This record gives sequence, structure tokens and C-alpha cells, in this order.
Amino acid sequence: MTALLETIGLAKRFGGLNALSGVDFHVNEGEIVSVIGPNGAGKTTFFNVISGMFAPDKGETLFKGQNIAGLSPDQITKIGVSRTFQNVRLFPNMTVLENVMVAQHCRTKKSVISTLFRTPGYLREEAEIEERAKEILSFFGTRLHGYRWDQPAMVLSYANRRRLEIARAMATQPEVLLLDEPTAGMNPRETLELTELIGKLRDEKGFTIVVIEHDMRVVRDVSDRVVVLDHGVKLAEGSYDEISTNDMVIEAYLGRPATEGDAS
Amino acid sequence: MTAVAAPAPTGMADLEVRGLVRVGLIAGAVLLLIVGVGMFEIFNGRKMIDPYLSAGYAAVIWIPLVFGYRVSVRPVLEGVESTPPGIHNIIAGMITGAIAGAMLGLLLLFASVVDIRSIFINISPSLIDLLSYGGSVVSGAAIIIVGSAALGAVGGAFHLISERAKMVLLTVVATVIGLNFLELVIGDILRAAGLRAVDRMIYAPSRGVTLLAAVLICAAVVALRLALKGRSNVMGARYEALPEDRRRRWMLIAGVVAIGLGTFLPTVFGLFLNEILSNVGLFILLGLGLNIVIGYAGLLDLGYVAFFAVGAYTTALATSSRSPAIAPELAFFEALPWVLLMALIAGLVIGTPVIRMRGDYLAIVTLGFGEIIRIAFNSDWLAGVFGGAQGILRIAPLEDGVATSGIRVDFGYVAAAIGLVVLIVGTLRMRDQQRIDRGEVGPLPNGNHNTRTNSLMIGIGALAVVLGVIFPTFSTWTVVGIDPPDMFRIILVFVAIAAFVSWRLRDSRVGRAWMAVREDEQIAQSMGINIVTTKLLAFVMGAMLASVGGALFAVKLGSIFPHSFEIIQSIIILVVVIVGGMGSIRGVAIGAVVLIGVLGGPTQPGLLREFGEFKLLIYGVILVWMMLKRPEGLWPEARRAQELHVDELAQDAWLRAKATAEVEEDGS
Repeated sequence: MTALLETIGLAKRFGGLNALSGVDFHVNEGEIVSVIGPNGAGKTTFFNVISGMFAPDKGETLFKGQNIAGLSPDQITKIGVSRTFQNVRLFPNMTVLENVMVAQHCRTKKSVISTLFRTPGYLREEAEIEERAKEILSFFGTRLHGYRWDQPAMVLSYANRRRLEIARAMATQPEVLLLDEPTAGMNPRETLELTELIGKLRDEKGFTIVVIEHDMRVVRDVSDRVVVLDHGVKLAEGSYDEISTNDMVIEAYLGRPATEGDAS
Repeated sequence: MTAVAAPAPTGMADLEVRGLVRVGLIAGAVLLLIVGVGMFEIFNGRKMIDPYLSAGYAAVIWIPLVFGYRVSVRPVLEGVESTPPGIHNIIAGMITGAIAGAMLGLLLLFASVVDIRSIFINISPSLIDLLSYGGSVVSGAAIIIVGSAALGAVGGAFHLISERAKMVLLTVVATVIGLNFLELVIGDILRAAGLRAVDRMIYAPSRGVTLLAAVLICAAVVALRLALKGRSNVMGARYEALPEDRRRRWMLIAGVVAIGLGTFLPTVFGLFLNEILSNVGLFILLGLGLNIVIGYAGLLDLGYVAFFAVGAYTTALATSSRSPAIAPELAFFEALPWVLLMALIAGLVIGTPVIRMRGDYLAIVTLGFGEIIRIAFNSDWLAGVFGGAQGILRIAPLEDGVATSGIRVDFGYVAAAIGLVVLIVGTLRMRDQQRIDRGEVGPLPNGNHNTRTNSLMIGIGALAVVLGVIFPTFSTWTVVGIDPPDMFRIILVFVAIAAFVSWRLRDSRVGRAWMAVREDEQIAQSMGINIVTTKLLAFVMGAMLASVGGALFAVKLGSIFPHSFEIIQSIIILVVVIVGGMGSIRGVAIGAVVLIGVLGGPTQPGLLREFGEFKLLIYGVILVWMMLKRPEGLWPEARRAQELHVDELAQDAWLRAKATAEVEEDGS
């Protein structure tokens, strides 16, 4: 089975800092892979490079075997990789519904002339965009439903903003979803709810998911596989149980145990 | 010292002395400014109510009145009993007025001793004479202080009268100002209607309203307002309550009425008002274009006048027989496609390099391009093509051979063009219905297409095309550039088209993409929007609307010169959009009416021709005031308003969510 999304030797340098140095990574279709690592490990940079916000200095990103490194973010989104952001970045003055509608831009095509004359094709497309947006929002139960549709995104609660970001990413109709710390800042109940939701995103919607996460319970519950980054290097890879007992990973997170030196 | 908490303040001790002095000094500063820039003296010759009140006095007496009122305005605090109005209001007003008057008095004394004309050229001996009221400087200063204090007291006393009395007084003031603003317009209309006698009754020979007319008209307006009080709100609420389709019907009726009025009214408006309205229309057209660029897509374009110039010069080159290099001598409507094409090219050429920049950088670079275009048109180097500083004359000459510019509208072609659009849309609808019938696609959300309407659209459309092409000139309308009523009509047609385009694009896929780019460019790109094409599209749409404005401008004047496209034009168009309300179509219209219609454009006269040299000063004051008090504009889009009042909105949303939650709890 070939990987749906694969990176080979991905490297990115900011001045003297090697944010990523040669990361090999892959995710198979239908898989949920978690990317973990201490702060500053290069996880978000990894996402930024995959999604095209930064071009890599070296290495390739293969999507279905085709190199997409160096393409612009909108092209990569159109090819089928969409993402959310660690520090929620919605369009704050647009309504909840509009946020999801605008994300379908690359899947629709009606332009100025048909808009001006409201041709049947245009009306149909607009209706579909709205219907699809509502359908996507209904995935979150009543959280983003009904009267919320017409509220500007800026009045939403923090958890709802995170949900809306996921909805917006879903609306671009991707095959791979990159979720950057989806549970950051959520309370335990909301975290639990989102954990289930990530599973549902794969099982019901068929997305392949890569998720950056700090909460180890979430990582344990959702991941098929866990990849650990530290200082821009892939430190370890494996199932949650393997990773959680890996000495190198523990060391990266907690530092070298003081007892180790005595024991050896 | 706290006047708010005190139950019944009676004297000086209860007034906040610091606040009084502060407001008094501000009032004095405003007074000095208005007298110092020469408004008082220059306006003094212009009577408002003949011969009792001159515009010069009107320009100063509002200061003690308004500040005398403002000084004792206290915020209404919930849960704290507000101080009942009383003598303290009057005293506060009086002190404020006295301080302001004292500042002017001091200036008068100072200026009579020391000659400060070398710096403040408007503080002339004649102004000092005027302020001395025929007596000595000292007695003049005393009169000013006492008068100002008295006016301040009157302003303070405004707190004591009832709401209804306030309304009546404000209506009287507004009516007198309005009558003076509209003096030339009403005069024109009355004379055209053969009512010269009425004109003489209302307006004195030396300008200004006669006292009798002022009293009678004010009484009539007050009576009307009292009779209509609250009615408009009821009407508005009733309209809001109507279902969607009924509302649409009313909008349609309003549209038909508007078209009727647009055709008929210019005939009775008279030359002066039509001239003003033409200018307002041109600026609405330009404002709507800039609104797409800056209001929808958030691109701060300070060189917008470049596209206006491109439109005007393309029209000139294509239509004028005196154009230096190429002179195909096309008619206006033959030139229009070329104008749009050149605007498109100019939009792409200027847009492509600048589109990758953001915010301030974009503004500076567009500013540069605006100047480059103007200087290119002005240069000797290109004088062989664009005529240099001499410009291009005899634009769009009418076939009669006379030297007037004009537009010939052949209604046959108009019918054919509209017919073609109707025909195409009808055909598309018919095809779509067939696909629905075959079950290939589902019906539209608002139901199926009406088959009879489809056939009708196709039939009428085809008929219009055929008849239009066979009889292109069955009816012609010749618009002469120097004829204001007709010019206003044709500008109105283009404004309507521009408004339609703006409105349709705003709530569409394209409009949403613009909005997303305005909100957060980087994220918009991450969500699959190609920001380069999206921003270029906004740039090009704006350029095209501006170029049409330029084409009409060229025909209206009959000749164009590079100095018509100075940077100030860009600034004024921007100010129109900002003052009206960015992103709002109706806002742009209001902004143009207020700024261009009342005050006047950079080179165009407004209703208040007297403002002439003070125009930019007043523009500045309006702009500063707007940014402080109403940054969203005079008549903004709801969305824009909420953007700038996030706190209130968040609170509303929170209250609503709470209410919803409570209802749900009750239900369960």
C-alpha cells in the first residue's frame, strides 16, 4: 500500500535555526497519525511546509506519488490537503455559514458574468454551496446550528471557534486533514467530545488525518500511529504504546533522568 | 465637586470647575479658528435671514450655544439618580460662553495693539472694525464677552425645555439652514415654473431668506414634523415585518417609481441642481468602483484616479477629431468597449506588480502609479499622443457639426442589447428546466422555473434583438454634454448599473472570496482561494467602473486636461467612501451627496458655493470627527458597523445565548 501523503527528507531552515532537518514521514489512506513533540520541535513548521505556507529548503512532499512541494497554499488545498491552525484563525467578521461557504471556493467555479445575471447554473451552485455548508456544520450537532449560522465568527466561544475551523477545513473537500492542536484550550469535556469527533471524521467522512496534539490521552485514543519530532528531527515512530515507553521520547520530553547516570 | 451625585446643586460650588474651563477653552479655540481663517468676515456679507442674520454670525454663534449646552451634558448612569436640570445648567453655559468670548476679546485687544497680520493674514483691520461694533476695541471686546456669555446661557437653558420644544427649535434651525443651502436650486426651479413672484417672496434680492418667508416656512415644516412624528418608524417596522416576496414587490415598485422620477425630475430641477447632481452621480460611480477595491477586497488604492484618467483619455482619443495621434472619431458608445478594454489592461498592468504587497505598501505604490499616469499624460514626451498640458479638445462631437460634445443613444441598439441578455438567460433557464425534467439534477431551492416565463423571455428577447437590429434608430436620444439635465439622466443610468454590479457581486462566491481576502489574506489562500486572481479581479472591476466615470466626465466637459487628474481626486473619492461607509453601496451614495453635493468636489461647486475656499478645512473636520465618533461611516453596512463595535455585539450574542439556554431549560 503506497502512502497517500509522504515527505522525504523535508528540511526548512530559518536563519541559523534548523526548524526541520530531513523529516521522512508518511500517512496511509484512512489512517490517523499523531505528530507529537516538545515545544519548538518543529511540528507546526512541518504543517506549514506541507500546506505550502513555506516552501521547503530541501526534500519532497508527495501526494499520491506526485510532488507538491513548492506549490502555493491554494493549489495544495485544491489538490486535497487542508488544515486548521494552532492559534485559531477564522474570518472573524464573516458569519459562521459564510466561513464554511467561502472555503468551498476552490471546488466551485461560477464567476462574474453568471453572477451578474444570476444564471440557473449560478443559482444552483450557490444553493449547493449553502446546503453543503449547513450539512458540514450539522456534523457538530447543535453546536454550530440554527441561529449560530448567521452569527459572526468572532462572537463564538473558544471551543466553537475550533470546531468551526475544522468545519471550514472540511469544506475544502480534502482527502488529508491536518489538525494543529485541535484540543488546545478546551476543557476536559470538550476535549473528550473532540476526541470522538476526530474518530468520526475518519470513520464517517473518510478523511485521512494528521494531528498535532499535546494531550496524551487524545493521542492515545485517536492515533493509529504516533510520530515524535524533536529539534526538527524525527525521533521515533510507532504505536502509542511503543512511543510511550520509548526512552528517547521520554528523555526529549522530561530530560535525562538523574538516576540514569548512577545506574549505569 | 461631583455634580452627579449631589441631589440638588444650586450654585457654583457644585459645578465642575475644571470641566467648565476645559470646555470653555475648546469653545474659544474653535471660535478663534473660525474667525482667524476669515470665515466670519467673508461670510458676513452673505445674509441668511435678511437682514437680521448673516452667515458670518451663524458661523460663530453656534459655538457658545452648542458648547454651552454640551458643557453640562452628563452621562445617564443606571441606578444613579441624575441631577434634575436647573439654574446650574444656565450658569455652566454662561461661564463657558464667557471664557470663549474672552479668548476672542483678548485676541481683538492684542491684534489692535500688535500687528499680527504678517502671520495671520485674515486678522485684518476690517475684521477688527467689524468686531468692535463701531465703538472702541475695548467696548467691542466687552460686547463679545457679554454676548457670548448670554448665548452660552441660552445653550445651557436648552436643558430645561421639553423634548418637544427641543425638536421644534432644532427643526427651525435646520429649515433655515436648508433654505439657504438650496437658495439657488429653489430659485432655479421656481423661475423655471414661472413663479418668479414666489421666489422674490422667499428670497431677498441680496440673497438670504426674508423674515416673513422664514417664519411661515418654519411654521409649516414644524407642523408637518409634529404631524408625522413617529410615523416613519412605524412604516419602517411594518416594511421589515413583510415576508420576503412582498418586500421584493415593494422594492420593485420603488424601483419603477425611481426610474420615473429620474426621467422626469431633471426637467424641473433647473441647471444648477442638475449640474450638482451630475457631479454627485459621477462621484457615486467612482466611489462604487473604489468601494469594490477597498471596501470589498480591502486593497487600499490611493492611485485610483489613474483609471479615471485612462477612461477619460481613451474616450478622448477614440472620439475627438483633434486627438493628436490617432483619431478614429468613434461615437461614444462605439468608444465605450475600448474604454473598458483599456481599463482592464491598465488594471492588470498596474495591479500585477502591486498585488503582492499588503496594506501600507500597496497604498504607497498605487499612489506612485497614480502620479505616473498623470505625469505621463502631462509630459511633452507623450504630447504627440495625449496632447500634453494642452489636453484634448472637441471630445465626442455630435454629428450636427456643432462644437458640443455629446452621446447619442440609439434605443434600437439598447433594446437589442437588453434583448440579447434576456434571450440568453431565458435559454439557460429553459435548458436547466429540461435537465430537471429529465431528472439529471434536482430542482432549484426556490422551486422550478416557470415554463411560461422562460418561453416569454426567449420570445421577447429574440424579438427585441431582431427589431433592434432592423430599426436601430427608431428612437434616438441625444445627450449634449453641456446640458445638465440630460447629462444627469445618463449618469444616473450608469450609476444604476454600477450599483447593480456592486450589489450582485457582494453576496456571491466572488464577493465572499474578496471578503475573506480582506479579513485574512494568508488564511484565505490556505483555504483554497487564489489571492492573486481574486485581488486582480477586484482591481479590474474597480478600474472599469472608474473608466466609465472618466468617459462620462470627458463628454461632460468636452475637453480634458491632465490637471483634472490630480492626486486630490483620489483622496476625495476615498473620503467619499470612508465618510459614507466602506463596503456599503447606499453609504457611498450618501457620502457623495454630503461631500460633493453639499460641500462640493475638488473642482466642482456644491450647494454651498460660499464654502469654496474653506472646503478642504471642512472636509478635514468631518473626517476627524467621523473617525472619532462614527468610524463605520454615515450609513454603513450592518457588518461593518459590528466590526467596529465588537464589545457590544459580543454582549448581545452572550445575552441571546443565555436567553436561548434558559428557554431550553424551561422546555425540558
